[in-house]
Amino acid sequence: MSSKVPSKLLELRSVGKSYGTAQVLKDVDLKIEDGEFLVILGPSGSGKTTILRLIGGFIAPSQGEILLDGAIINDLPINRRPFNTVFQDYALFPHMTVRGNVAYGLSVRGVPKAEIVARSDKVLALVSLGPLADRYPAQLSGGQRQRVALARAIVCEPRLVLLDEPLAALDVNLRRQMQVFLKEIQREIRTTFLFITHDQEEAITLADRICVMDHGKIMQIGAPRDLYDRPGSAHVARFFGDNNLIEGRILSVAGGRATLDTPLGTLVACCDPSSGLADGDSAFLAIRPEKIRILAREDPCPDDAAALGVTITRKEFAGPLTHLSFVPDAAPSILLSAKRLSDEMALLSLGEPGLRACWGISDTWVVRA
Amino acid sequence: MTRLTKFARPATSLVIYAVLAALIVVPFLSFLAMSFFSVEGVTINRTPTMGNFIRAFTDPVMMSVFWRTILLCGAIAFVTTLIAYPVAVFINGLQGVARYVLLTATTAPLILSYVMKIYAFRSILGGNGLLNRMLLATGIIDTPSSFFVFNLNAVFLVLAVLLAPFAILPILLSLEKIPAALSEAAADLSASRWTIFRTVTVPLSRPGIATALSFTFIMSIGDFVTPQMVGGPNGFTFGRIIYSQFGLAFNWPFGAALGVLMAAVIVVVLALAMRLGRVPGGASR
Repeated sequence: MSSKVPSKLLELRSVGKSYGTAQVLKDVDLKIEDGEFLVILGPSGSGKTTILRLIGGFIAPSQGEILLDGAIINDLPINRRPFNTVFQDYALFPHMTVRGNVAYGLSVRGVPKAEIVARSDKVLALVSLGPLADRYPAQLSGGQRQRVALARAIVCEPRLVLLDEPLAALDVNLRRQMQVFLKEIQREIRTTFLFITHDQEEAITLADRICVMDHGKIMQIGAPRDLYDRPGSAHVARFFGDNNLIEGRILSVAGGRATLDTPLGTLVACCDPSSGLADGDSAFLAIRPEKIRILAREDPCPDDAAALGVTITRKEFAGPLTHLSFVPDAAPSILLSAKRLSDEMALLSLGEPGLRACWGISDTWVVRA
Repeated sequence: MTRLTKFARPATSLVIYAVLAALIVVPFLSFLAMSFFSVEGVTINRTPTMGNFIRAFTDPVMMSVFWRTILLCGAIAFVTTLIAYPVAVFINGLQGVARYVLLTATTAPLILSYVMKIYAFRSILGGNGLLNRMLLATGIIDTPSSFFVFNLNAVFLVLAVLLAPFAILPILLSLEKIPAALSEAAADLSASRWTIFRTVTVPLSRPGIATALSFTFIMSIGDFVTPQMVGGPNGFTFGRIIYSQFGLAFNWPFGAALGVLMAAVIVVVLALAMRLGRVPGGASR
């Protein structure tokens, strides 16, 4: 029972949460490793905040177990869990100075006064708030409040820092800065971060691992690169950046490749042998827009690639990249998109005949429909 | 449109200030003027004199009643607020129908006639009243006690109960304004419920506490009906003295001077309350 694996900090075992008849979280299994930056990504209503509140102890699970270092902590009250939270709207104490806010957790625990001062000064310096220590939250900007909230959470040296969409209220530029800053802080203090967001770019920037959620369920967990290149479902394939999904039926599966019958003809794509996809299953062929090259008549297509006759229907210049919409000649009702360097696209024009779309088989991926 | 608002705005504020001036400032100034006059027989002598104020400050009875009244009203304000605070916390913790019902029950006495409530209290506190009969029945006392009626104890008790809604409501309002996230944040930082109450709830409800204290103090110091009806001959308060100057004694200038004294006390109390109600960090919202 108590087979402690040292690297597992926290574990959720088939955890569920219901409010009346509404089940907001279903049978979630999740392991959080010591020292990692785990991002839970999902749209609103996906249950991501519920997971955070369950771990923090703000709500109790309806079923399942939450384990810390292998011991069940379902009934451990909030104030005795070694976790600290950065709240979405910061929840700073308005009647306390920056220093008062940061010192709160320590003074509540009865840490000696000299140590409180030393530790809060150290953390305030870490988040570069030393000069503002005597200000009140109302006198700070959004980004500064954000840093106070972070300082207040990490000063107690928690085992796990819970961050509930902390950057949602900041403007784009500040958000970028804070992302870099958060990542640096996390590396510096070597503490496990559990970060909630609905912004997939933010997730990719921050995460060691991303846990994608939808409708109260975990869709997939993995490193950002894995989720991007080898999505486990059509949902993840679509949610993570742009993707072309071509629906079809599997004709055969062999050697990590599947052959699909699609409206565009028979296409070959890479697939995960462990996914259990078999002949006759309906599936999507996924190919990223940046992996598609558009070739003029005379250009050769490389080996181990697929090529289709296509017509460009839209061309959008977006700085260094140009976005193209095009339809295959074999199935003009299917709209696909490509994203390539603008210089490469400059010569192509709308409606030009004899163009081909070309992609490497190794850049494709089959997901279950 | 813009032309209209350009003139409509100042016009509206002019009307508002005019009404305030006519109903509050002018009466007060005439009162102030009156306090420097004197009475000869049944006519008022309009030659300015400090006589009224000198008499107020030198008369030993006046001064002792004055300080006793301030002490009494201070105690009423303190005790009423002390009782109101947990009630407000309790109501604030309720949700849905229970909260609504309790809130209505708290404010319902405000709808009743003031005189009616005092009569009700007289019958409860009197020698043959409910309170005495209960104490007799439980054997706590042997003979009916007059401890609770026609003295300052009675004034204290009745005012504390009658003014309770005026203390509960402002405290409840300030408690409602405290975001629930702050308690969660405090708990998240290991604070116990008592610590959260002490370090977050109480400091952030200071505006409500200050309002409750000043409301109850000012309303009790200005009241002369309650002391008149339940205070008896021993329950003499400053308000009753002022009232008698405008009635039986027929000395309006002296009454006005005592009124100015009372107004000064109220201004001081309001200033103290503003000070007390200020939350550091400008968080009074």
